[in-house]
Amino acid sequence: MSSTPDAVTGLTAHPALASIELTWDPLGWDPLIDHFRIYAVAGEASPGEPDEADLLGKTVYPRFVHVDLDPAGETWTYRVLAVSDAGLRGEASDAMTGTSQPSVTATGREIARIGDFDGRTLELHLAPSSYEQIAVDYPDAVIEYEQGVDEPGTAWPYLLPGPGDAWAGSTAHRARWTLTLDGEPSAPHDLAIWLADTTRLGGILRVRVNEEAMADIELPTGSTRGSREGDATLPDSPLLRSFHELEMPEGLLQSGENVIEFELAEGGWVAWDAVGLFAREG
Amino acid sequence: MPASVAPAPVSRRRLLQASGASAAVIALGIRAPQAQAETAPQPEGLFSLGVACGAPRPDGMVLWTRLAPEPLAEDGHGGMEGKDVTVRWHVAKDPEFRQITARGQALAQPALAHAVHPRVEGLEPATDYFYRFSVGRQNSPVGRFRTLPAEGAEVESFSVGVVSCQAWYHGHFTAHKHLAAEEELDLVVFVGDYIYEYGITESNLWRQGVEVGPAHQVEAETLEQYRLRYALFKSDPHLQAVHARVPAVAVWDDHEVQNDYLGGSSSTGVPDDLFAHRIAVAYRAFYENMPLDLEALPDGPDSDITTGFDVGNLARLTLLDTRQFRDPAPTDPEDQQRPERSMLGAEQEEWASDRLADSPATWNILANGVVVAAITEDRVDMWDGYPAARQRLLDAMAGAPNPVVLTGDIHRHVATELLADFSDPGSGTVGVELICTSVGSDGDGAKTDANTPDWLQHEYVKHYDGRRGYLHLRLTPEELVSSFYIVEWVEADDTAPKLLSARFTTPAGDSRLIPA
Repeated sequence: MSSTPDAVTGLTAHPALASIELTWDPLGWDPLIDHFRIYAVAGEASPGEPDEADLLGKTVYPRFVHVDLDPAGETWTYRVLAVSDAGLRGEASDAMTGTSQPSVTATGREIARIGDFDGRTLELHLAPSSYEQIAVDYPDAVIEYEQGVDEPGTAWPYLLPGPGDAWAGSTAHRARWTLTLDGEPSAPHDLAIWLADTTRLGGILRVRVNEEAMADIELPTGSTRGSREGDATLPDSPLLRSFHELEMPEGLLQSGENVIEFELAEGGWVAWDAVGLFAREG
Repeated sequence: MPASVAPAPVSRRRLLQASGASAAVIALGIRAPQAQAETAPQPEGLFSLGVACGAPRPDGMVLWTRLAPEPLAEDGHGGMEGKDVTVRWHVAKDPEFRQITARGQALAQPALAHAVHPRVEGLEPATDYFYRFSVGRQNSPVGRFRTLPAEGAEVESFSVGVVSCQAWYHGHFTAHKHLAAEEELDLVVFVGDYIYEYGITESNLWRQGVEVGPAHQVEAETLEQYRLRYALFKSDPHLQAVHARVPAVAVWDDHEVQNDYLGGSSSTGVPDDLFAHRIAVAYRAFYENMPLDLEALPDGPDSDITTGFDVGNLARLTLLDTRQFRDPAPTDPEDQQRPERSMLGAEQEEWASDRLADSPATWNILANGVVVAAITEDRVDMWDGYPAARQRLLDAMAGAPNPVVLTGDIHRHVATELLADFSDPGSGTVGVELICTSVGSDGDGAKTDANTPDWLQHEYVKHYDGRRGYLHLRLTPEELVSSFYIVEWVEADDTAPKLLSARFTTPAGDSRLIPA
């Protein structure tokens, strides 16, 4: 029962937007693993033997997500070790370097945006917990938001309900974002959709641009807590953020008025972090 | 249950069977005939988490303690070094330990957070005993218990305390203070949510006069965090007093792992193969901190806390696990009604039915985590989410003498009769369900609240009280007297007197709740 845990093997770094997901091989049940310790240093140099000053976090799972990285992209090098039920530490894994995927919110030129890309719903209408008012304020299940006229805090509810939400009439809600472009887009554009949380139901977020279908985003299973809590960046927040950045097909955007429509076609609500339209530089 | 439950691979239980148990039993802190460890001087305060006993039998008991000179050490090891420590125990007929009846040693090991679970055997039935542990010159507080009556014995009376939902941070354990002082008390049954996994922050720390450090402010996920959470809750002197006063048995609900988890699935979207690791450490911490028999030691993410025992011919207790084996939440109303949906899993369901069918006892008590009675269809975490399984349970209860269900979960005292068929108001009653309120969860509370109408809309629900407290049962061959006690406040301090909220008599052979 008191054997030293094996060294962690199979450490892999998966790049993602503003985060790096680490996975490794589970170690079985004997000895029972109290937790894994993740050590990280910025850059590509190996951290050497784990130093408690470099402890990034602890987890019971053979998986850890290094979050809140600079949207422009960051590189880190990691080692992971296991601690047994008896408090014994195994050898650290080999070092593994990962780089987060740069976000268009950092690399692109902002054209328009609703909310702040900061892992929080707090600046949005009715956040962080008055979701029941959405059903009252939007009985037709349609939210209209005009760029330059409306403000996120008064016109963009923090949740977009779906058919899985009995409290909102079990109806697919639509959020319509109207924005005006001065001219025909010359460079490719990207649509950034950052979510602070989704529900255990997952679902489909359908995106249309000027009445044309653009994408069906498959929503990940979330924690379902984003209806009551508004800050996914707090330590040990249960909220499960997700990031979706889509290239706009050529010709979809036009000079003058455009409408980007989000419909929660299947499943439960999304809690918005922010949405934005960005032009590629260079 | 379930010696018949197939053990998972790498089963420690299988190892025990294969090895004749001795080495493993020593390693598990159950028995260490010779001194196995160095007797180096230990820090003072080893017994800060008190003592407990449980898994009662006519000839013995499991004794428990966990060495923790610094109970709130953040690594979950209670301030112990990573070495084995020999713990001696004595059982005597007198509190001064002049008449020692049994003695032994167990090995407190870091792998089990220095908890020991020795089983004392060879005692006389229906006899009062005292017990204590010692390490070096340090003695633990003295605990006491009464062994169960002999099999088939006539029993004049047996008294049980029922408690649940110990959100330490929501209030003082005043209910435990009063329960420990009950004149007639033979057993305490914990019916779930012994701990809560939530982070303890400014917003939920309603227990006045205490502070907690940053290590308590995060949700428990790792073994060290669950161990620390048990240590925090078990540091309460009134909870320790209850444990020292009588044997304890326990079932769990969801908060021993995570709010609303079910089966092997998280309620927050963590994939099952990952969540199994959290279940494994949470179940382990439950074993380490409760006076449980070896069968309850988890094997990875699998555990078996189902058990039962008879109190002579007076009562048969059956402890159910309504969390680990249940089907997922219903996807829609049609799914909710599916006949094959199960709350207990097929094997446990059969085992529970067999225990009811074979019972020689006057009273047949089922302890479980969630409410059996039909209240509203949207309460899908309770048996309301599993109506076909409930009907099978009610059918099994109908074939046994005087079934009584003990439940917690809802933080309210509720007394209800159980209909033979909740879809047929005229179907008659097959038993009673006595739902105890929380010890701490929800703070002071009020007698009535927004939920009251949901419960009292049913004629079969006879009582509702939303304040904190405990339930006391007195069983005799003629009747069951259930007393629902409350305290009017728990947040400010632990001085609230106990008040009787309601008392019912249930005559043997007549499954009703008659106000007494």
